[in-house]
Amino acid sequence: MSIVETKELTKVYGSGDTALTALNHVSIHIQAGEFVAIMGPSGCGKSTLLHLVGGLDRATSGGVMIEGHNLSDLNDTRLAELRRRKIGFVFQFFNLIPVLNALENAALPLLLDGVPLKAAQKKAAEWLDRVGLSDRHTHRPSQLSGGQQQRVAIARALVSEPAIILADEPTGNLDTHAADEIVGLLRQVSSQWGRAVVMVTHDPRIAAYADRIIFLKDGVMVNETRLEAGALPAQ
Amino acid sequence: MSVRHAILGLLAQKPRHGYELRSAFEALIGGEQNWEVKPAQIYTTLSRLEESGLVAEAAIEQDGGPEKHIFDITPAGREELGDWFEGAVEEVHQRDEFYLKLMLSINDEFADPYAVIHVQRSSLFRDLHGLTTQRQALNGMENLAQILLLDKAVMHLEADLRWLDMVEGRLDEIRSHPPPEPETRPRGRPKKS
Amino acid sequence: MNIQWILALRYLNGRKLRTFLTTLAVVFGVLVIFGMNIMLPTLLKTFQATMLAASNEVDLTVSHRAGTPFNNSVLDEVRAVEGVRVAQGLVSRPLNLPADFFDQDPTQQDRISVLTMVGLDPALASQMRAYLMDQGRFLQEGDTGVCLISVTMADTLGLQLGDTLQLPTAQGLTNLEIVGILPPRMAPGNEEVLVPVSDAQYLLEMEGKFSSVEANFNTTAEDERAAIEQAVSSRLGSEYQLGALSSASEIFGTLQIAQNAFNVIGALALFMGAFIIFNTFRTLIAERRRDIGMLRAVGASRRMITGIILTEGLIQGIVGTLTGMVLGYLLVELLMGIATPLLGNFMNVQLQKPVVTLSIVLISSALGIGVTLLAGLLPAFSAGRVTPLEALRPSTNGKLARRMFGASAITGIILIALSLAALFSGQPALATPGALIFIAGLILIAPALVRPIALGFGALFSRLLAREGTGFVAQGNLTRQPERVAVTASTSMIALAIIVVVAGMATTIEETFMRVLRESLGSDYLFIPPSVGIWANNIGADASFADELRAIDGVGAVTSMRFSSAVADVLPQFTKGQSASTDGVAVSMMGIDPHSFPEVGGLEFTQGDPEVAYAALNDERTLIGNGVFMSSTGLKVGDTVPLITPNGTVNYRVVAAAGDFLNIKLITAYISHANMEKDFGKTEDVFLQLNLAPGADQPTVETAIKQVRQNYPQFNMINGKAYYEQMSGLMRMAFSSMYFVFLFLAIPSLIAMINTLAIGVIERTREIGMIRAVGATQKQIRKIVLVEALLLAAVGVAFGLLGGLYLGYVTTNSLGTVGFPVEYYFPWSGLLAAIAVGLIFGALASIIPARQAARLDIIEALRYE
Ligand SMILES: Nc1ncnc2c1ncn2[C@@H]1O[C@H](COP(=O)(O)OP(=O)(O)OP(=O)(O)O)[C@@H](O)[C@H]1O
Ligand SMILES: [Mg+2]
Repeated sequence: MSIVETKELTKVYGSGDTALTALNHVSIHIQAGEFVAIMGPSGCGKSTLLHLVGGLDRATSGGVMIEGHNLSDLNDTRLAELRRRKIGFVFQFFNLIPVLNALENAALPLLLDGVPLKAAQKKAAEWLDRVGLSDRHTHRPSQLSGGQQQRVAIARALVSEPAIILADEPTGNLDTHAADEIVGLLRQVSSQWGRAVVMVTHDPRIAAYADRIIFLKDGVMVNETRLEAGALPAQ
Repeated sequence: MSVRHAILGLLAQKPRHGYELRSAFEALIGGEQNWEVKPAQIYTTLSRLEESGLVAEAAIEQDGGPEKHIFDITPAGREELGDWFEGAVEEVHQRDEFYLKLMLSINDEFADPYAVIHVQRSSLFRDLHGLTTQRQALNGMENLAQILLLDKAVMHLEADLRWLDMVEGRLDEIRSHPPPEPETRPRGRPKKS
Repeated sequence: MNIQWILALRYLNGRKLRTFLTTLAVVFGVLVIFGMNIMLPTLLKTFQATMLAASNEVDLTVSHRAGTPFNNSVLDEVRAVEGVRVAQGLVSRPLNLPADFFDQDPTQQDRISVLTMVGLDPALASQMRAYLMDQGRFLQEGDTGVCLISVTMADTLGLQLGDTLQLPTAQGLTNLEIVGILPPRMAPGNEEVLVPVSDAQYLLEMEGKFSSVEANFNTTAEDERAAIEQAVSSRLGSEYQLGALSSASEIFGTLQIAQNAFNVIGALALFMGAFIIFNTFRTLIAERRRDIGMLRAVGASRRMITGIILTEGLIQGIVGTLTGMVLGYLLVELLMGIATPLLGNFMNVQLQKPVVTLSIVLISSALGIGVTLLAGLLPAFSAGRVTPLEALRPSTNGKLARRMFGASAITGIILIALSLAALFSGQPALATPGALIFIAGLILIAPALVRPIALGFGALFSRLLAREGTGFVAQGNLTRQPERVAVTASTSMIALAIIVVVAGMATTIEETFMRVLRESLGSDYLFIPPSVGIWANNIGADASFADELRAIDGVGAVTSMRFSSAVADVLPQFTKGQSASTDGVAVSMMGIDPHSFPEVGGLEFTQGDPEVAYAALNDERTLIGNGVFMSSTGLKVGDTVPLITPNGTVNYRVVAAAGDFLNIKLITAYISHANMEKDFGKTEDVFLQLNLAPGADQPTVETAIKQVRQNYPQFNMINGKAYYEQMSGLMRMAFSSMYFVFLFLAIPSLIAMINTLAIGVIERTREIGMIRAVGATQKQIRKIVLVEALLLAAVGVAFGLLGGLYLGYVTTNSLGTVGFPVEYYFPWSGLLAAIAVGLIFGALASIIPARQAARLDIIEALRYE
């Protein structure tokens, strides 16, 4: 079963003369544990797609199914809950809370979910160790390098053991080496830890780490390339 | 003709027999998936080199199995190797099959240039994916030489992919121009009918 | 500990400076609200007492119908009535002095033959009206065997402070030590000897009795006052008669306007306190939009966000509110501590300790904490509503904000239009809400106006700082973030508006009152009979006195007043405090010389043209009626009134409404000397006024005048200038309370301006780092902040002046509706003060943030999120 499925997903910004169709009837399927890259020229709707899949925004028409739940059936609170439990986000700009240290930032989704502090921190510590930040637990975001901050963000995305990780240009601000490390980590997330990873990127090299690449153009899905042999998604 | 020079280079390190040469080449290139050389090719090349007097059989080894001919480089071979080191490796960038395919597809009513691009891109991505997978498995300490080779390939692929994006972006523009035709009249001469 | 608390505490702790500044805003907000409200009642009382003293009136006087003393339990009855702020029992009785009692000289005419001994409660009396002291002190609690007399009486009798005054009382001849001397007696009635009420009761054999009870109310609302009077009346029964302050009188108008003014100021304090808190918090939340968006993205629900902000707001609100209340109390104590001895130098007025009532504590807490929470919640809610995405995309904020600007600017314009409508409706009840709506409207259109104003001033400043090349950066900063600028400017706007309002109001009331006084009493010398109020009892002088005075070298103009009583044959209008008989209205007719009177004295006109009116007095049977005359006869200018004179009934036409200070309380009509002689047969001058000729040598002339007066001992001679100065001193005291209010509001709000600027710098830490990184020097950064502060201040000043002028106009204008002849005085002083204060504080406010900005570590600043 697809873990993420979009059906004729459409997003229109604005209305009337200024209406802009950012996404136009996009239907995609993503399997559990699959690593999918989304590519396309700037402004083609990549981020929009990711935001809709992550329940950060509402679709104009069409729908997003996450593990069989239609997102448009969920109210705001339920949507927040879903984001907390089922989805992990990694953004280009590191989006850590500046006043919390690495450990607390990583533990954030659990804390928001009401997990007791100790337990949440224990789990966050494990994930920080796994992403290679065992010696930086008490550092504040401002005391970490860009790559390190991104690792914290990945640990945060993974801490609630979500089925889906959504990453919007996670390597956009990093040098080649750090970018390789981060995308390698994401690949590990999918291959070793079995999470579906959907990553938006401009960089073909980064995209090549994925199992599949979806090409968008002007809000339309134009192509798809499978890089890794595997069952094709049920169409 | 690099296999030829590779054999010369490897023999310059130490005398080897054919099988040894193939393994050494493979190790150098990082595995047969990167550059596959059949044993037969090694042997034909060796014999050609021997004919040219660039290598010479140094000994025959026999430990139970079939006998192995061990070759060594000759002074003429050294000279040839020296020339190779001193000269540049010529690469013919413009001789591009995909380019031909694409340009011809543009003006072929049965072909879709976008599909041509897509197929090529998918293929390049697959190659890239393979390379990155491979590269990830390598250890930066021990396999630095191979990593460098892979990086070269990765970079070339990246460049190819970017070029594809560029071509795709300007495809309609190219289409609107008339297809390149041979010049029917040389420049500067009056037209003869 | 759950995540809400962790985050709240981290934010508070992680941004110490900002937390401090935000809490400070709460502190100032609460301080203003709390301090203002515990101070206002005291100030209003002080103001009321001073104004009453200046006019010698109280809200309510209770006496027995038979004129006899009554049991002192009546005082408790009056006090028990709700709405009575303060009441005191008085004992007063005329003391008829035996012939030659003081001068022991049968050949000399007695200058004083009757005195009134007045017993009053030393503590309460000064709460009812302030007593201006010429020398010595006022009566104190526990005093006995002492008295106060007026300077005129002291002069007449040749007595001085510390001397003993001997009086014949029911207890035989009694010696009283003179402990204080009051200003000249101008008020109607006999010369008074003021003693403690217990002494008076003993000396006059009125133990346990009062001859009257005086009370002041705690409201100036007309219907409430009527209800209080009614309550007192029904409580006491028909044996007692009440005299109440007429709502038509000037003093009442002044009180009412003062009350309105204090209400407006109180409301402004509330508004400003709330606004300071709201703004600071809003800036804080706006800054955290991205964090909020991120939290939402990783799965925080709207409620959780609200929870975090709530927790944070709650902590800051509680800490800030408590601190604010403590500081507010201390500041009030301090101001009162400074004010009391200052005021005490001039008059006997006691500023009570600030009263902290539970309701003020509750209101301040509710506002302090409530507004803080609200200020956090509103942006948090809106952040929640715009989906986590918009919060994550800084670029869309601008568009959103611009859309909001449009809407708020339109709302602002509507509000201002509404408030202008309220102004032109002339309804005093609409004044306060109208003022608040106006301020709110200004705040709403502020963002839209910021750009043009900043550009205008910016051009100016950048010309001034052309060498630096930083002016445009500051200007750019302002125009780029009009909302933030508007927020900061609005804070200073309110502060400055208050300065202008208070100054405008004080100037207007003071000027108006002083003008009345000056025009009525503005002559250099006055010759007043001992009993001004009861003209009929006074022996006057024939024209020779005036002629002799005129003959003195250096004397300019001399004018006189003559008196006769008459009855206006009209149906009396029932007015509170006036005896309602059915046989017409008793009028005291004052004869004046239409030529010389305007030169020396003059009337204060409320209706009609002075020149036309004076001319008409001479030519025909016309009269000018004073305020009480008009209201008790119900006549209008142009009406004709039959007057019953000794020679029969004659018709007089009313040509104007005007009055003078001396007759302010009496039903008075002014006619010409000619008509006075023709219809009433009176040629006797009972009151004279004199002006010195320009350039006359005052001491010499004064000696000569005194010489002449020797022959007319029935007149007291008063130096009008001196008297006027004394009165204006009293008035200034009354208005000093206004200036305390002004100080009180201005200081915290200006500190709040520093606060907002500092927050502005923190907010832009990263940006400043960027400017530094591209090569700006520390000096340039300081300049940028300074120019920005000045621009902000300029914007604030521009708005503040607008708001202040409007508010001042509204508040003073409502005076007109209560019949007080008020002219709006343009508050130049307040205006200039506001501009100076605004710009100076703008510059001062920039010092700390500018240093802070200049010293920022570039790397740190760039990493700052
Ligand atoms: N909130 C919004 N309001 C209006 N238009 C928007 C909004 N968000 C995105 N768009 C428009 O929708 C289109 C798709 O935007 P999106 O951010 O998805 O592009 P993208 O593919 O992520 O581009 P990039 O690679 O530059 O990040 C763009 O044309 C953008 O201008
Ligand atoms: Mg994007």
